[in-house]
Amino acid sequence: MRRVGTVAASIAGFAGIVALHAGGAPSLPGATAPPAPASSASGTTKPGTTTPGATKVPTTTAVPVTGTAVGTREQYGYGVLAVKVTEQSGHITDVTVASLQTAEQYSQNLAQQVIPMLRSEVLSVQSDRINAISGATYTSEAYAASIQSALDALAAK
Amino acid sequence: MIVLAEAVMGTMFSFHVEPGECPTGEATAVIASACTRLHELDTIFTTWRQESPMSRFRAGLLRRDGVPGEMTRAMALCEEARALSKGWFDPWAMPGGFDPTGLVKGWAVSEALELLRLAGVKAAMVNGGGDISVFGSPEETTAWRIGIRHPWRSEALACVLEIDGAVATSGCYERGPHLINPKDGRMMFDTASASVVGANLAICDALATALVVADEEGPQLARSLGDYEAYLIRNDGTEHASSGIVFASASVR
Repeated sequence: MRRVGTVAASIAGFAGIVALHAGGAPSLPGATAPPAPASSASGTTKPGTTTPGATKVPTTTAVPVTGTAVGTREQYGYGVLAVKVTEQSGHITDVTVASLQTAEQYSQNLAQQVIPMLRSEVLSVQSDRINAISGATYTSEAYAASIQSALDALAAK
Repeated sequence: MIVLAEAVMGTMFSFHVEPGECPTGEATAVIASACTRLHELDTIFTTWRQESPMSRFRAGLLRRDGVPGEMTRAMALCEEARALSKGWFDPWAMPGGFDPTGLVKGWAVSEALELLRLAGVKAAMVNGGGDISVFGSPEETTAWRIGIRHPWRSEALACVLEIDGAVATSGCYERGPHLINPKDGRMMFDTASASVVGANLAICDALATALVVADEEGPQLARSLGDYEAYLIRNDGTEHASSGIVFASASVR
């Protein structure tokens, strides 16, 4: 299932999408954050921006890492989102979704595309330090195009 | 590092072997015999061929006391996994009769890895279509670093885990709906990906399947799996990990 489309896969790109869709945003009950300006998504990437009482983290389990901050809840056009960012030595090392409410199924589909990209953009650049990929079983045909086949080729050198 | 990939059981098995003191020729021969063993297990367990012992057992043409020893051992593992998963993994509740598919591939990987261990190689990893078992340490590092595939982007990772035993991942993003809730027959779930880390890959494999079909009860089940640790990604984008999951620290260069 490939659903990678026209959405830019970076935090900066995500901010652009926020700006693009903010005008048509459905208003959500209980949404306290103002409509997000283009800079708000990147604003959440700095540790220490946690707003006390802005949100609790209801479902995401805390991961034992240092330098983590949960951003404020932002209205991103189709729902309300808070991201959790981990920083080490001035580099973003991890981005996860701390909380997410979407208004409707369409929003959920969109969120599935956009939000994981925040994180995968960070993690896809370090594949040379990975030994293998665990995932749902692929067919022997799908293997040819998989990261595992690339890792096999790399390890065989 | 000796690397070999073998198509078997409808997927691809990758071998990464660090021979150490074991002569390269000998290590290569052991990999070849591990591949032969995988094809033997496929012949026993496949449900795609009517004449296989598993198909004959399912059709009532083979009694339980007449099945090959491999099937007896797989059934014992299935019972263990059913108990650990609180019934969310239940091969006896599948339509069409007993179906241990959710466990057999993981078990086959551990059987293949065991042959390499007995041969005395320094370190090895076997990846059976995404289910992985390891021993020893890869070059220059202490733990094997395993990327968990991103459920919505085939070329990206959701996270990186460090393991010294085994990890299995289940989900429906590769081959569509094929998992069944043993309690109500449902085949659509809001858990996109479930990974289980532990010592025995057969059990990891079964528990990963259990966590997907347990759906909204998965996050709670993930925290009560004994010595097994779990990491889930739900369709709403939330992630859940039990306390013993070891995330590798990522770095951006």
